[in-house]
Amino acid sequence: MSRNAGRFVRMSYLVASVAGVLFFAMSVALLGIWPGRVLEDETRSMSPAHPLGLTVSEQRGRVIYGREGCAYCHTQQVRYLHSDMARFGAPTLAWETRFDYPQLWGTRRIGPDLAREGGTHSEDWHFSHLYSPRTLVPDSVMPPYPSMFDGSADRPRQGARDLVAYIETLGRARELAGPEGEAHARAACNCPNDEMAQMAFHGALNANPARARRQGAALKLAASGDLVRGQQLYLHNCASCHGLRGEADGPGAAALHPQPANLAGHEYTVDRLGYVLGNGVQGTAMQAWRDLSTDDLAAIAQAVRAFHVAQQEPTLPANIADLGAHVYTANCVQCHGEHGAGDGSAVGELRMPPADFRGARPSLAESLRALRNGVDGTPMAPWTGRLSEAELSAVAYYVRGFFRGGQ
Amino acid sequence: MPMQENAQRVAAPTVETRLVYAHGLAAIVTLLISVTFGILASLELLIPDLAGNHVWLSWGRLRYDHTQGIMLGWLGNAFFAFLYHAVPLLTGRPVTSARLGQWIFGLWNFAVVAPGWVLVLAGFSQPLEWAEFPVVVDVFVVLALALAIVQFLPPFFWRGLEDLYVSSWYVIGALIFTLLAYPMGNFVPEFVPGARGAAFSGLWIHDAVGLYVTPLALSIIYFVIPAATRRPIFSHFLSMLGFWLLFFLYPLNGTHHYLFSVIPMSAQIGAITASALLGVDVIIVVANLLLSLRGAGVFPRDVALRFVAMSTIFYLVVSIQGSIQAQMSVNQAIHFSDWVIGHSHLAMLGFATFAAAGGLVHVWQRIPWARYNARAIEWSYWLLFAGVILMVTDLTIAGIVEARLWQSAAPWLDSVRAARPYWIVRTGSAIPIAAGFIALLLGLTTGPRGAGLQSVEQTIGLEPVREIAPRLASAMSEVS
Repeated sequence: MSRNAGRFVRMSYLVASVAGVLFFAMSVALLGIWPGRVLEDETRSMSPAHPLGLTVSEQRGRVIYGREGCAYCHTQQVRYLHSDMARFGAPTLAWETRFDYPQLWGTRRIGPDLAREGGTHSEDWHFSHLYSPRTLVPDSVMPPYPSMFDGSADRPRQGARDLVAYIETLGRARELAGPEGEAHARAACNCPNDEMAQMAFHGALNANPARARRQGAALKLAASGDLVRGQQLYLHNCASCHGLRGEADGPGAAALHPQPANLAGHEYTVDRLGYVLGNGVQGTAMQAWRDLSTDDLAAIAQAVRAFHVAQQEPTLPANIADLGAHVYTANCVQCHGEHGAGDGSAVGELRMPPADFRGARPSLAESLRALRNGVDGTPMAPWTGRLSEAELSAVAYYVRGFFRGGQ
Repeated sequence: MPMQENAQRVAAPTVETRLVYAHGLAAIVTLLISVTFGILASLELLIPDLAGNHVWLSWGRLRYDHTQGIMLGWLGNAFFAFLYHAVPLLTGRPVTSARLGQWIFGLWNFAVVAPGWVLVLAGFSQPLEWAEFPVVVDVFVVLALALAIVQFLPPFFWRGLEDLYVSSWYVIGALIFTLLAYPMGNFVPEFVPGARGAAFSGLWIHDAVGLYVTPLALSIIYFVIPAATRRPIFSHFLSMLGFWLLFFLYPLNGTHHYLFSVIPMSAQIGAITASALLGVDVIIVVANLLLSLRGAGVFPRDVALRFVAMSTIFYLVVSIQGSIQAQMSVNQAIHFSDWVIGHSHLAMLGFATFAAAGGLVHVWQRIPWARYNARAIEWSYWLLFAGVILMVTDLTIAGIVEARLWQSAAPWLDSVRAARPYWIVRTGSAIPIAAGFIALLLGLTTGPRGAGLQSVEQTIGLEPVREIAPRLASAMSEVS
């Protein structure tokens, strides 16, 4: 190698080395700093004026979420893809992540994405699920976190409370921003021709098929479904709470407030089951099941209706029936409604919808038990102090008359 | 430059064999611990209540310790062991200081890996991929990396850069760029929130593989092939082309971990393009390596060379796979699925581990006083080979199954149910893999002292160490 060639090689390596470091700097600038600035601008312009940050408890919950590796099975990022949007809702915008130090987007989804989990399940569901996931979801592979509880799912320690408080914040900022927030973000985006950016503003904000909703259309289910398939589906999806025979004694039932419905103690119309399966019961652990096909739901409805055994209930004298109507009008109508449809004038103020007697007829025993004990975890209080034995029996009997069964 | 002169300059390298040995042993011990974390985590997906009330054994914490242990404990120590052997041979000069070496060893294992593991299990960690050890541990990683630069780079600069062999370039590049990239991935997202932080995390996820693992693994491959085949590398020009393309393209890949996100589309498309080009670069590198291997076969007799040859093939497959899965049409389906877990195991357990194991066996054979059990290492190779193929195939299919279910209207839980048989096979694949690593430990700690040299003699014949160095360096004479 000649002296000149040596110098040439030395120089070229020097140049290449400097270029290499510059290239690294360029990668940081192009893929880190520059996108960061774009995202910062986007956050500033698209964010609502005063987005809700995290409380101290929620921040502690976030630390637990990070520490336990939750983000390694649950992403927190809905992508601009129809398959993601159909399952979880609107794509994640930059401003929604502005308080995430550090980010928890995740790169693996074993469980579902949680970016829009807030408001999807009830608090008691979360506690039971954290304490022992398989008591609610038999086929789940999530690890249990019993050490966050004091011996049972309804005795959460601070850690569990913080964690659930944090989970409830996921997607909250965008929901609180409401339609005005969406309109503001859309105007700030100013991207009418950017097909992908527009996806963020189309479709449901929260598309989780499990999310309970108060005002939803009833699914029209076929009056008869495949009973065997229904029983299988019931076993995999429902028995964990409602019990093998529909007696509300599944392993997941213990810590839920209110308790799961006693399916064997009620007679249901197909329409009522279609409504509950399609919309869940908001405020309770009963989620919606929109991810199952209507055929499957009709099959489940069939299996649920099969739990009910028709019994000869005593008939009451007419004067007692009149007494029932009188008591009902005086005490129950505000919530349960004039025709027992659970649509009384006070319903809007209740955390969860009152029983709908037109779609579900309790057995006399069930009816009396609810009146005597109230329903724990719901606004339904015990009536023993306020109504006489005769009045209790009368109204327990009376509400059964609202049922519009037959189908 | 005449060969003789070159040979004289590199004639008497001093290899700190005790440091090679210490890092080598630490590598295998941390490897076995990391694999245990991995096996437990995979078991917990099959038996989710396994950990019971022991929160320190819960899935998330094991998962953190698994990957950090592999990256820093196993690969880090194996790379150090290789560097203590290779740097003196490549430069003809000893490393800066044996005493500094003891400090680096102590820092790396007792201020980084061990406390990192314990802190994660105790609940102190950072929920960022390839950065799970808590920030306090990261400080010591950066310190140790800086000391490693002091330890290993001066010998290169003493010699002058003009006749550096390609392995040297990879060593220099890896040490410098890792020191630059590590703080970016481990500290920045703590101060930059959400989507903005994710952009940096994406960069680091790829830099960890591209600027730390890959260059050091390639430096081993480029070193062992000519040392064991007794021929110079096929083309020094292709080596250098591959090297510079790698360092230009790898850092530009990061955003492909967050496609279809809110990160600006032009950054995503840039990363996708760089990912495709990276496949081209790897074809260049691997073509050069395979041409250098010609005549030795896919399964050479020398087991160190055999590890390295298979590592080369894994490198090709995993990189082409990476280029493909970064494309939007593929990524939208398989992202988030077990396909990616298969991909990362093909990279870390296939490519990187086979290179590291090959390098470790190669340097071990050349420690005259080290024990060496050739049969155990033979077993190790074949067990690992079978285990990797089984695991990666299984996870790849699992990913496709999951992706199909996610695209359909099926309930989410159906994808979890469908994954179970594949997860059983994945846990099963841990049996040959763990057995292979135990065999590797036995191979390097049992058997007669000095049996490594005998093994070299039987497979490729002995040669004085000083013969190796000029062969590595002489590549330059082909271009000048």
